[in-house]
Amino acid sequence: MTRLLAWIAFLFGALYFALPLIGMTEFSLKMRRGVYSLDAYVKVFADPRFQETFSFSVMMALATIAFGVLLVVPTAYWVRLKMPGARPWIEFVTLLPLVIPAIVIVFGYIRLYNTSSFLPLTGSTTGTNILLMFGYATLALPYMYRSVDTGLRTIDVATLTEAAQSLGAGWVTILSRVILPNVLIAVLSGAFLTFAIVIGEFTMAALLDRPAFGPYMQLLGANRAYEPAALAVIAFGITWACMALIQLLARFAPKPAKPVKE
Amino acid sequence: MSAVNNSKANSDAFLAINGVTKSFGAVQVVRGADIAISKGEFVSFLGPSGCGKTTILRMVAGFETPTTGRIVIDGKDITDLKPNQRKIGMVFQSYALFPNLTVAGNIGFGLKVAGKARAEIDQRVEEMLKLIGLPELSDRFPWQLSGGQQQRVALARALAPRPAVLLLDEPLSALDAKIRVSLREEIRAIQKELGITTIFVTHDQEEALSMSDRVMVMYQGRIEQIGAPFEVYNHPKTKFVANFVGTLSTMEGTIADAAKGSVDAAGTRFDGVRLPAGATNGAAVTLALRPEALRRDRRDGDLSLSGEIIDVDFLGSVIRIDIKAGGEKLSLDAFNDPTTPPPAIGETMTVHFAPDAVLTL
Ligand SMILES: Nc1ncnc2c1ncn2[C@@H]1O[C@H](COP(=O)(O)OP(=O)(O)O)[C@@H](O)[C@H]1O
Ligand SMILES: [Mg+2]
Repeated sequence: MTRLLAWIAFLFGALYFALPLIGMTEFSLKMRRGVYSLDAYVKVFADPRFQETFSFSVMMALATIAFGVLLVVPTAYWVRLKMPGARPWIEFVTLLPLVIPAIVIVFGYIRLYNTSSFLPLTGSTTGTNILLMFGYATLALPYMYRSVDTGLRTIDVATLTEAAQSLGAGWVTILSRVILPNVLIAVLSGAFLTFAIVIGEFTMAALLDRPAFGPYMQLLGANRAYEPAALAVIAFGITWACMALIQLLARFAPKPAKPVKE
Repeated sequence: MSAVNNSKANSDAFLAINGVTKSFGAVQVVRGADIAISKGEFVSFLGPSGCGKTTILRMVAGFETPTTGRIVIDGKDITDLKPNQRKIGMVFQSYALFPNLTVAGNIGFGLKVAGKARAEIDQRVEEMLKLIGLPELSDRFPWQLSGGQQQRVALARALAPRPAVLLLDEPLSALDAKIRVSLREEIRAIQKELGITTIFVTHDQEEALSMSDRVMVMYQGRIEQIGAPFEVYNHPKTKFVANFVGTLSTMEGTIADAAKGSVDAAGTRFDGVRLPAGATNGAAVTLALRPEALRRDRRDGDLSLSGEIIDVDFLGSVIRIDIKAGGEKLSLDAFNDPTTPPPAIGETMTVHFAPDAVLTL
């Protein structure tokens, strides 16, 4: 009986998510009257602005990932190693981007770094791009921090650090040769989540007036019928590919050594 | 002047721990440690859990800073050096192999960090693998190894960069009993072969006694006694050492005649006991006996005591018999004799021992 209820709940959930997707995908294939075709997709891919905005966002995503990894891995490592008492606080801080709307963050940025401020980042294209990357890194922080911290939990950070130290290793060596390789899978899951977030992000890119993929999707959505559906399917595809890669990578995670009985 | 004297006293010491204390907040967990260890010596730190063994070891390794005192290796004060500048090999209870590296990668880690050439690293790794008897496992990952194999790799990893000192913190505690015994012999053999100065932390007295040149017994942050295993076992300096190292039966007594070494205990008069200097008639004294000092057969000059057998443990090569005599419990170890079954509980038995075998506490 409970099994049946569980199945019903699952089916309902599946339909709830699947039906709109199926509907949208079907719609995106109906550009040519009467038959299914990939016309909408061909149009989208052929649009130079699609190529521009998409490659801009990919570059931004890669930069954000690099920055995020450099920021989060040493931080999460240090917190676990030296200030375990501060973990709840750090965790709280990393969760803030989930409750503070992106629009608030970006308005804060614009106020703080406008052309008449002490650090006029918005005055140049490069400066604005850097600011946008910081914004993306902030949005991705909860996911990145969580996955790295979970990765660190699977290894004995303190003892591995001491083992490496006694073998002559300094902090950079420890981070790059001992810690990072052992949390690489966790870092990559965080990276793919970051990628998915950056590709779809609208608010920050729009308000900082950067030619990103998110605002392009919005623009297209406001003016066309079939192409936005195709674009949405593509965006979904990218996100899902990221998720699938995370799952795939989990299989290659370095296995922890046999548990030591205490 | 006294500083000069102090360093002179330890001048032949390769590793000297001088007046080291360590406090965590208000709690002093190491209350003044002084020990001089010679080059190539194997010293065990033995004591119950929480007595401060690991803390001293971690100060030698550089993971903790002494609150007071200095640590000197090979004439060089290393107290303020960082752990990665000390050239000390460390083996942990939890093995702590790097999960992402193969056996060879783990063993070569220290040499790679030191910037050694590829060929030199390969050669040393091979040498180390031979030393620990696992030459065929060089490409395995830690998770593919048993606990005993992992710990041997950890030992090889610690030794590969030719450290000045080897530190082992309860390296065998996580292993099965059988492997524990074989590995401790192996560790000792490797240590002797390399002649490396070694500190071995353990709470297992059998381990400490069987492996060490000297044993340092600790209790509540203090060093109770430092000496050869034979010395510590047979001539414990404190009550704690006597009780912690080996099994001990005690009898509360009163000195009847200090000059003749006569003590009344367990309802019997014992003569010829070696009493501490300054013992006075009528003073209380605790007599203590090792189980192997008690015998069922009597020899000339023996002291004797009769009691009721309250427990018989057949341990294989040895039979342990507990008797109750005059309100005191004594344990006796006798070798197993295949032709004679052990005595039964409830029987009366007389035990004998040499007056010299009696320890006074
Ligand atoms: N980092 C620390 N902070 C506070 N107390 C500690 C710390 N490390 C050890 N202690 C305390 O010091 C005492 C000695 O610990 P330890 O040296 O690990 O003992 P052992 O190795 O002999 O079991 C214990 O009471 C332990 O709780
Ligand atoms: Mg310990």
